[in-house]
Amino acid sequence: MGTTDGEQTAAGLLEDPKSFDPKGTLALILVYFCILVTMWVYIYFVEFLGNDLIVVG
Amino acid sequence: MTATADAPAATADDGTAPDDGTGGSEPGTETFYDRFPEAARIVRATFLGAFLAFAVGTTFGIIQTLHRTGIARPFSSVDYYTFLTAHGVFLVLSFTIFFLVGVFTWALVRSLDRPLVNTRFSWAWYGLMATGMTLTGLTILAGFTSAVDVSADVLFTFYAPLQAHPLFYGGLAVFLVGTWLAGLDWWRTFLAWRREHPDERIPLQAFMVLTTTIMWYVATSALAISVLFFLLPWSLGLIETVNPTLTRTLFWFFGHPVVYFWLMPAYLLWYTVLPSIAGGRLFSDPLARVVFVLFLLLSTPVGIHHQYLDPGIAEGFKFVAMTNTMFLLLPSLLTAFTVVASVEYGARVRGGTGLFGWLRTLPWRDPAFTGMMLAGLMFAAGGFSGMVNAGMNINYLIHNTIWVTGHFHLTVGTAVALTFMAATYWLWPQITNKPIYSRQIGLAQVVLWFAGMALMSNAMHAQGLLGVPRRTAEPTYSGFEYGSAFGGYGELNLQVAIGGTILFASAVLFLSNVVLTMGNSRTDGLAETLAEPISGSEDAPLVLDNIRLWGGIAVLLVLLAYALPIVAIVQRGGLFGPGGEAYPMVLDALAILAEQAPDVLVERMPDVLGGGWAGGWP
Repeated sequence: MGTTDGEQTAAGLLEDPKSFDPKGTLALILVYFCILVTMWVYIYFVEFLGNDLIVVG
Repeated sequence: MTATADAPAATADDGTAPDDGTGGSEPGTETFYDRFPEAARIVRATFLGAFLAFAVGTTFGIIQTLHRTGIARPFSSVDYYTFLTAHGVFLVLSFTIFFLVGVFTWALVRSLDRPLVNTRFSWAWYGLMATGMTLTGLTILAGFTSAVDVSADVLFTFYAPLQAHPLFYGGLAVFLVGTWLAGLDWWRTFLAWRREHPDERIPLQAFMVLTTTIMWYVATSALAISVLFFLLPWSLGLIETVNPTLTRTLFWFFGHPVVYFWLMPAYLLWYTVLPSIAGGRLFSDPLARVVFVLFLLLSTPVGIHHQYLDPGIAEGFKFVAMTNTMFLLLPSLLTAFTVVASVEYGARVRGGTGLFGWLRTLPWRDPAFTGMMLAGLMFAAGGFSGMVNAGMNINYLIHNTIWVTGHFHLTVGTAVALTFMAATYWLWPQITNKPIYSRQIGLAQVVLWFAGMALMSNAMHAQGLLGVPRRTAEPTYSGFEYGSAFGGYGELNLQVAIGGTILFASAVLFLSNVVLTMGNSRTDGLAETLAEPISGSEDAPLVLDNIRLWGGIAVLLVLLAYALPIVAIVQRGGLFGPGGEAYPMVLDALAILAEQAPDVLVERMPDVLGGGWAGGWP
């Protein structure tokens, strides 16, 4: 395995690329997911609670 | 040598990512230009066509931005729609498609490691595309002058009742045929390779090109029908009316998958070039293939999600389109994972550590890398606004507002356009043997594009939530004021204008850099190679390469999604419609009124004078 104490080393990854565990990618995707959820909640407020009907003209 | 992108993963002795060797007999010593000079010339010609369209389109972009925000209005608001049409057509049809046929030609020839079957045929499709787009473009630009009775102020979404001069549709048809022949060229080249290599897996880049081509054929079938059977005859006066709902539906049949036609070359670059620039390797070849198959299947049967507010299409059909659209999120999320993981591998190999610390070791000074990464980041933001667009109920909140414009400036305007610009910094030396004039200017340019778009697109989204309409020269009304969210209307306008100006500056930097690069002399040592995937094609099930099967299923899904709605539209409104009179209808109405008013007045006046309001007057 290309890890030492849970940390993936360059030498280990070059020796065995398939041991690569994309933990950083998972972390970034979780951050993105949290942003998405926050934005959805925001849109919920905009759509259902923030506005009355706008009638132009 | 044969394409070995699918060979088992191996590690180079020097500790760097291994090379797939398709750059030449001695890996890394030959550029694409050295190895395939004829194909390189075609790719360069397509890129130059794209950059010309980009120059014109972005110029119109800044004029529009300043006009609709009220900062500067040197032209009349009537001309705004000519600018808008030109901006849309030059950028999303001409810039994107000319660039992508170049990327696809490069990727196919490079990955198959064989030249195109017949270069004359390649020049023929390029000539058709250029001729067609020139005709269409000139027809639009003629709208600025009244000296000739030619115009096409129909916007990029050129469905009825807006009507253009026949040359607009004719040019589009010729352009479209050019793209079809380009696809045929790629397929012929692939089939020639297949005869030479009957037992090999399709190289990944070629697989991406071939699946996208099939998707394009499926998508454009409806556009061809719309143009040839309805819009062009209508414009020529051969038929009097068309069914507007039908032409809208046929347009959006094409109008959504065209988004993926723009996006797939960006994905191709993210999957196969970006990891190598980062010093990494594609995480998974099989996942990449699955993603392209999913786009082939799901890109087209979703177009009705652009028509949630169209009367004349049953809610049930719209619901089917929404469901398909939500499935379409899957391949994009798979891409986010695969591409970021591939880049993370590069960062780890470079010595990056920590949950986020690895990001610091990436080559951020490389404009090609930074540009593509920022493009991907913007695409993630566009993913959110796209989900809002796709939801049937929540779409009503932002339908036809400038939110939608903000959305597609994140997707095609950044994910695609910024990737293409960034890729130019990597690809141009490969196809010309000329080094980029200034990589520093390149880096500044991609960062500026990101910053300008962040400002402009965010403000557009916020304005959309306030109900500010899109496609409008003067989006204010007397006696009505927009509310405020993240700043008032005026403040957001300022953000749009500043963002648009930064984008224009970025475009000027890009084009200047390209022009100055063209002045460089050819040199050696520019060859770049692409690394093999960590999980190669040997891990991918063979069925993934059965493009005939996936193409068949794609057609079936399209029939399921569209047969009933189209039959219902035709049954309700007729093939050539109950209406669809050419715009400007209001002028026709005024003419009729002027013609009939005297008679009406003469007939009705005695009743009126005699107190006869009940005789039918309001």
